Amino acid sequence: MVNENLVKDVVKEPYKYGFVTDIETEKIAKGLNEDIIRLISQKKEEPQYLLDFRLKAFKKWQKMKEPDWAGLGYKQIDYQDIVYYSAPKQKEKISSLDEVDPKLLETFDKLGIPLTEQKKLTNVAVDAVFDSVSIATTFREELAEHGVIFCSISEAVKNHSDLIEKYLGTVVPASDNYFAALNSAVFSDGSFVYIPKGVSCPMDLSSYFRINSGDSGQFERTLIIAEESSSVSYLEGCTAPMFDTNTLHAAVVELIALDDASIKYSTVQNWYAGDEEGIGGIFNFVTKRGKCLGKRSKISWSQVETGSAITWKYPSCLLLGEESVGEFYSVALTNNLQQADTGTKMIHIGPKTKSTIVSKGISAGNSINSYRGLVKMGSKAKGSRNYSQCDSMLIGDQASANTFPYIKSQQPNSEIEHEASTCRISEDQLFYLQSRGIEFEEAVSMMVSGFCRDVFNQLPMEFAAEADKLLALKLEGSVG
Amino acid sequence: MEIIEKIKTNKSTDNQTEIQKICLDKLQSSPLPNPKSEQWRLSNKSKFSNFLDYSVNENYQKFDTPFPNTSQSTIRLVIGNNCQINLIEDNYSIQQLSQDELDKYIKEQISYFDQNENWSDLFNLSLSNTKNILGLKISGSKIPPIEIFSHASSNSLNAKTLVIFLEKNCDVDLLQVNLGKENSSLSQSTFFCLEENSSAKHGIVSYGENKSNLLNSLNVIQQNNSEYNLGSLHFKFNYARFEIRIKQSKGNAKTNIKGIQITKKDEQISTYTKIHFNGPNGFLDQINKSLADDKSHAIFEGSIIVPKIAQKTDASQLSRNLLLSNLAQIDTKPQLEIIADDVKCKHGATISQLNEEELFYMRTRGITLTEASKLQLSSYFQEIISFIPVSKDRWDLLEKLLNEN
Repeated sequence: MVNENLVKDVVKEPYKYGFVTDIETEKIAKGLNEDIIRLISQKKEEPQYLLDFRLKAFKKWQKMKEPDWAGLGYKQIDYQDIVYYSAPKQKEKISSLDEVDPKLLETFDKLGIPLTEQKKLTNVAVDAVFDSVSIATTFREELAEHGVIFCSISEAVKNHSDLIEKYLGTVVPASDNYFAALNSAVFSDGSFVYIPKGVSCPMDLSSYFRINSGDSGQFERTLIIAEESSSVSYLEGCTAPMFDTNTLHAAVVELIALDDASIKYSTVQNWYAGDEEGIGGIFNFVTKRGKCLGKRSKISWSQVETGSAITWKYPSCLLLGEESVGEFYSVALTNNLQQADTGTKMIHIGPKTKSTIVSKGISAGNSINSYRGLVKMGSKAKGSRNYSQCDSMLIGDQASANTFPYIKSQQPNSEIEHEASTCRISEDQLFYLQSRGIEFEEAVSMMVSGFCRDVFNQLPMEFAAEADKLLALKLEGSVG
Repeated sequence: MEIIEKIKTNKSTDNQTEIQKICLDKLQSSPLPNPKSEQWRLSNKSKFSNFLDYSVNENYQKFDTPFPNTSQSTIRLVIGNNCQINLIEDNYSIQQLSQDELDKYIKEQISYFDQNENWSDLFNLSLSNTKNILGLKISGSKIPPIEIFSHASSNSLNAKTLVIFLEKNCDVDLLQVNLGKENSSLSQSTFFCLEENSSAKHGIVSYGENKSNLLNSLNVIQQNNSEYNLGSLHFKFNYARFEIRIKQSKGNAKTNIKGIQITKKDEQISTYTKIHFNGPNGFLDQINKSLADDKSHAIFEGSIIVPKIAQKTDASQLSRNLLLSNLAQIDTKPQLEIIADDVKCKHGATISQLNEEELFYMRTRGITLTEASKLQLSSYFQEIISFIPVSKDRWDLLEKLLNEN
């Protein structure tokens, strides 16, 4: 017989990224109005079209209502009590990494993110975002040799304005939803990636988001454009310190894949989740969407969601191009009082499009973990296929696991398959492992890892190791 | 508010029963179902308003097409036709519930209603008068099969209510037939209580005509060790909505559901099911099929709710759908809400068209495409039809499904 308490102990693990970096920051006043938006835009020296984009989004946002259909219970967010721009003070125009405040470098070092270019062995280019601004982007020259543009979105606005103007807001329009509109109005920084025609990006690109101040929200925006026959693998990681207040994170990610292009977008989300009583933690409201514009283009989302008090996130694919492919692989782990409502949308528009969804949810403690997904076959999606699999694992009898798949079809010549199951860590299997001399906590960890295998296999190597470690950390711990 | 006015203008206040008054009061605050709610989101608004277009008719009108013959042993009841039944035999009894018993039970049920979820029931009970409510208490064994009819008359809106108590250790086969007429709306609510160790094979066949509408709701409460089997079939309605709510009030019960809905032309038929396990060791096996052709729209939404108390629940739900035309549409949403950890719950959903390989195989054997499609469809239908109890053979259901347009 498994001791329930033992399992509960195993899933307890202190948050190790909860430190605060003591650094001088430049913040603007709390509150949200047109002046604040103008101020953000002015600070970033943005062109007029971008300011117009922000103001238009703000007008739309004011008319919108916060969505409540996900049934997430969280205390009312006071949008006037948030600092919309916060940046570490540093010298103007950094020419090399040596000039970056050592405290900042130390922070990212502590987080295990190598910013110093000596650590070339890792072969991952990193864009590090601290509160509202991008601190550094590594490996830029090497990337430039291949014609790849990898920089913060603020720089892209200055240096590649044509691309920004052409693509920004084309996948996630400002009026898409409440949080996307908010982001469009106040977005601070984020990453921009452009892969030219025929280039296969020589290294993995990565951005790391760090919230440091307790009262400022983070509103980053990422835009990735993959031209014809190009490919890129992009990784995203996030952490935040422990505060007993809730911090808002509302990001927008837009991906565009043209003919034969492929984009792989992987996330390990480990924002601070609040303590055992549910105090503090990040409210994570993210809109991620990819557009498979070109023929045979491919967008693949993989995510490991372990943090945040509230997660509201549905990375989606619009499959427009003929034979385009969308994929979604997700592991979501919730513990204590965390609530996660996550899933995907696969909108099949073009003919012969294909999509695969594999979602694994693990709920422990008093948490709520829901999969909410939409698969839609439009009337022109002849010969399209979808396969979805959603498995949930329950640890303890206080957590809840929900599955809400919305399936719509208007095309007879297409196939949709969906399956879902719920299970718990089987006592037989635990007993078997323990009888072979494997420690209880290791056995639990092995079983969880096995449960998530289908998804971990899809993660890039660097991330797969990190994700496995992260889950193990969340699950291993203080068992005596 | 229109609908409230309509109900009121059709009846003088002194004529209203207490239950009707309670329901009307409740409806005042939500005269129409909330279109934003999950349960009504996909409902076609204009079709639903057609439903309410006809004037309320409380009087019984004979159904002009004769019902199929029945075997001698079968008991046939027609709701609204002053049917009186009081059978007390050696090994079984079928008795009508007294007015008091009926009122008490219905009032109790109303107190549990959720405005949005039970809108159809509130609507039904605010319309159906004592003549159109049939309450039965069934006990004993070797009970002859029972058939119960609800039908609408042309150009009117009819409401019929059925309450059934199945006493302990009782075993019954029951077929409910809902018949639509041209330009008519029928609201049919059924309340079914299964006591301990009882078992029921329940069939619901709803068969409409052109431009007939149906709002059919079924509320089942199962006690310990009861077994409830439901086979249902809905077809030929301009607008039909079938709501199933089953509660295993203490768990330890078995539920099997097999249903099919067939839509053609521009019809919309939807099935909503909610299975609530309120105790341990519950069992559910559910399959819902839809077939949508022409410009029609078929909807299935099923939820399985397993709270903490419902350990060792074993529930599975399958939604299988055939989409046969470019202009038709299918929506399906099987959902699981689980808190208990020691459970086996799964669901699946598929949407496709007829299997091409099978069609090809049959054609190589000299069977025409039309015949081959029919063969495939008949096997698709047969799985459900064979689950419908009582005189199903006399209704030639398969024949009707395959040959009528």
